[in-house]
Amino acid sequence: MIQNTHMSTLLQVAMPSAARPAVVAIGILYFAVVLTISVWAARKTRTARDFFVAGKGIGLVALTVASVSVSVSGFAFIGGPGFIYAVGLGAMYIVLPAAVTNVMGAWVLAKRMRLLGEARSLITIPDAIGARYRSRVAQGLSAVAILFGIVGYMATNALAMGVVINSIFGVGLGWGIWIGMGVTLAYSASGGILAGIYNDVFQGTLMALASVLVFLFVLKFGGGLGEISRTILAHDVAFLGPWGKLTPLAALSFFFVFSMGSLGQPQAVHKYYMLRDPLQLKWYPLLKTLGLVLVLLLYFSVGVGVKAFVLSGRLAPLASPDQATPALLLNVTPIILAALVFSGVAAATMSAANSFINIGAAVVTHDLPVAFGRRVKNELLWGRAVTVLIAIAAAITAQQSGAMVAFLGIFGWGLFASTLVPALAVGLNWQGATRAGAMASIATGLIVTLALETAAYRKAFTFPAGVTASAVAMVSSFLVFFIVSWLTRRGAPSEIDPDVRLVMEL
Amino acid sequence: MDRGVGNIAEDATKRVALVALFVGIAAIATGYAAAFNPRGTPTWAPWLLAIGIPVALVAVMILGAARGRRGIGTLKIPFAFVALVLVIGFGAALALPATEGPLSTLWLGLPARAAIVIYGVGLLPIIVLPVAYALTFETQTLNAEDVALVRALGRENQAARESAGAAPRDNELEA
Repeated sequence: MIQNTHMSTLLQVAMPSAARPAVVAIGILYFAVVLTISVWAARKTRTARDFFVAGKGIGLVALTVASVSVSVSGFAFIGGPGFIYAVGLGAMYIVLPAAVTNVMGAWVLAKRMRLLGEARSLITIPDAIGARYRSRVAQGLSAVAILFGIVGYMATNALAMGVVINSIFGVGLGWGIWIGMGVTLAYSASGGILAGIYNDVFQGTLMALASVLVFLFVLKFGGGLGEISRTILAHDVAFLGPWGKLTPLAALSFFFVFSMGSLGQPQAVHKYYMLRDPLQLKWYPLLKTLGLVLVLLLYFSVGVGVKAFVLSGRLAPLASPDQATPALLLNVTPIILAALVFSGVAAATMSAANSFINIGAAVVTHDLPVAFGRRVKNELLWGRAVTVLIAIAAAITAQQSGAMVAFLGIFGWGLFASTLVPALAVGLNWQGATRAGAMASIATGLIVTLALETAAYRKAFTFPAGVTASAVAMVSSFLVFFIVSWLTRRGAPSEIDPDVRLVMEL
Repeated sequence: MDRGVGNIAEDATKRVALVALFVGIAAIATGYAAAFNPRGTPTWAPWLLAIGIPVALVAVMILGAARGRRGIGTLKIPFAFVALVLVIGFGAALALPATEGPLSTLWLGLPARAAIVIYGVGLLPIIVLPVAYALTFETQTLNAEDVALVRALGRENQAARESAGAAPRDNELEA
């Protein structure tokens, strides 16, 4: 949903043109580095395992930076600051969970996923669900759920790439989509997750650098956070209230969905398989949390800073909240900083797209065949082919009506959360969870999310303030998981293979 | 591993964590359900989320961290700390009167209630939880012995698959 808010706002308001020589030059340099990394990675990718989980694994620092990169996406740079500008500090409840989510994921999932990968050579999240419940149906259901979520994420990411590339190079939205998706496809199909990871490292570093520089610039330009707050408090007291302009229920609901829901995001959870040495998990949550804090500095500082600058007349009123970052960059900051941030936004959308392309390809070529008791003979070859198909489908979908693409993107985060968190995160830590409970929970998450989002999209139903389809679907899925597992608990112990049980007990 | 005694302690810790997780989720669900009241959201509904969310989050962390006879060991301190920080942070934001104004005293650049949320809920757990995770990693989470045990199991599984004539899991190509 972090991405979705960003994407849907990008759909409504095109970013202003940033096509200045410095921005274009840094944009070209950025793409050159991405392509260089991709060529290197392609030469190292020889097996399906290389393609989907980076073969023998990735080192701690590289994996951490890559994970930060796919976790925040472009929302941290454009949609997020705009959201703060619009509703005040209430928008912070989307990112405040970062204080607990990484270490929570480490305790709940990282060790068990990594050890399951070691014991069973697993390469996907549905693999883990299939192994835990000894059920091809559960694996297939989770694969279908992931595929639904990916369709939405990919279309919105493709569109966001088009918007950003058009803003940097002025090539038009359609060409922007094809160029962005073409470059992402080039490194996804050739170098698989290895190219993705090392491009994520480059992209994440770029994002962190841009974020810290913008944060420092805003504080200096505004005379410090105290001065910025004083300016806002003189004009708009509610903005700096603890909930901003949201209701307490809405703000807390954000916190719930983005904290508990983080345990079901495949782009982050999938990375646990890739750490070369499981013992390096020791420092993973600390490093990732610190990395996220750096990347999110821009989110807070631009949202609050631009509000103060507009209220004090130092910046012209914005045409829409999403203009907060572009307006600051193009009117106030040095152009080189603007160039860095625009490349950072392109980097963010491309890293997310790459990750989802790779996971989608694994679902199609690995999980769905396994669910039907079959195996694709050459997963690497088919993985590359499906990668191309997913990218083309996403680019074509992104050219469709903005409203439809926005709708597709809306339910991604919530769908992953409601279908995967109980069955995967709780199921890997509770031997009493049953196959029936997992399947019922995944099905509930899928059906409730799709039904409620569709009803809301068609305006057949309106939620009360503060309640979202994602939140309702997640609590429903949890409750169904507990109740069905309890009702079918007699068979639970016999449903777990000895090696999986050992991993659950360690 | 001492399975007998260990499992009893683990079961007790995990059972408590599961009950807490269920109660937390049920509280959140009740808070959402109350919002559908046609006369408006009751004032107690956000309190259910303010308490239910920390309970559910800490419960799921305990579920993941509990191990054998140690249960959660010394982690009970950071877990209790984080639960308290979240409940107090959300509770203060709900309970304290709105006194923000141009002349408000600022805490590290923010009005009091906002500072409690941003610095308390958003930053304090960062200082405590990842450090607690790292400091207890070998005893509570994973050590070289565990990894060796699982790797041996992995080799056995691989040998079993190969002797059964199954295709290699990763479909290795000939270079």
